[in-house]
Amino acid sequence: MNGEAVQKVVISLPASADYVDIVRLNLYGIASKMGFSYEDIEDMKVAVSEACNNSVLYAYGQEDGTVEVTFEINGDLLSITVKDEGDSFDNLTAQGEGSTLHDKELDDVQIGGLGFFLMQALMDDVSVESQAGCGTKVVLTKRLMRSEEMV
Amino acid sequence: MNTNKNEKFNATMQSNDGTITVVLSGELDLSVAPEFRLMMKPLVEDSNHDLIINLKNLKYIDSTGIGILLSILKARHGMGSKFLVEDVPSQIQKLFDMTGISKFFATKENS
Repeated sequence: MNGEAVQKVVISLPASADYVDIVRLNLYGIASKMGFSYEDIEDMKVAVSEACNNSVLYAYGQEDGTVEVTFEINGDLLSITVKDEGDSFDNLTAQGEGSTLHDKELDDVQIGGLGFFLMQALMDDVSVESQAGCGTKVVLTKRLMRSEEMV
Repeated sequence: MNTNKNEKFNATMQSNDGTITVVLSGELDLSVAPEFRLMMKPLVEDSNHDLIINLKNLKYIDSTGIGILLSILKARHGMGSKFLVEDVPSQIQKLFDMTGISKFFATKENS
């Protein structure tokens, strides 16, 4: 597998909730082709959808926009980049980072803010680049764990 | 709009002996959140019935869906009315455990 080139699949979609399932379908196809387990694929589906939801909800306000999703297959690594060109979601990372409900009482629970936490919990690596007026780029990475007979 | 989903979200309601059970199937995500919220509102506000949401056939939930369940939980808790989530598939239970929402749910054990 040495020197294997990075392979890319790029899809561009309307920034609308109605298209997030299309991203999940593509993810399923690519991740199962790579040999990811059912459980890993389910985890990635949640993480990638959360990244797309953020673009749909926060990037363009009431205006139409586009979300570009790039799947990069690099050996055993799958990186999924979700990119929009709308307003940044600084507020999202600020409010949502690492926040769960484990140490909270029901009366203190805020609805929302779980999306970013789920991305971090379900992927091996998450990076968010966001610049005011230049959109947001979320890169989610997961490594394929090969079963022992493959080594 | 018809995106021709195989796992299209559906919610059906059964009423039985003072209990309303809502059975969910398909994918509960951002795209169906508004209609689900709307459908649940009168059921959540009805203090004459116990409310159960059955997740046996739910294939997928995102943070929006988890948020709706949380808001139902808070509303029912505030009213002092019973609310149960039952038959949670393992993949969804994992998300409930991860986010910490599990401890708030009174769940009926899978048989």
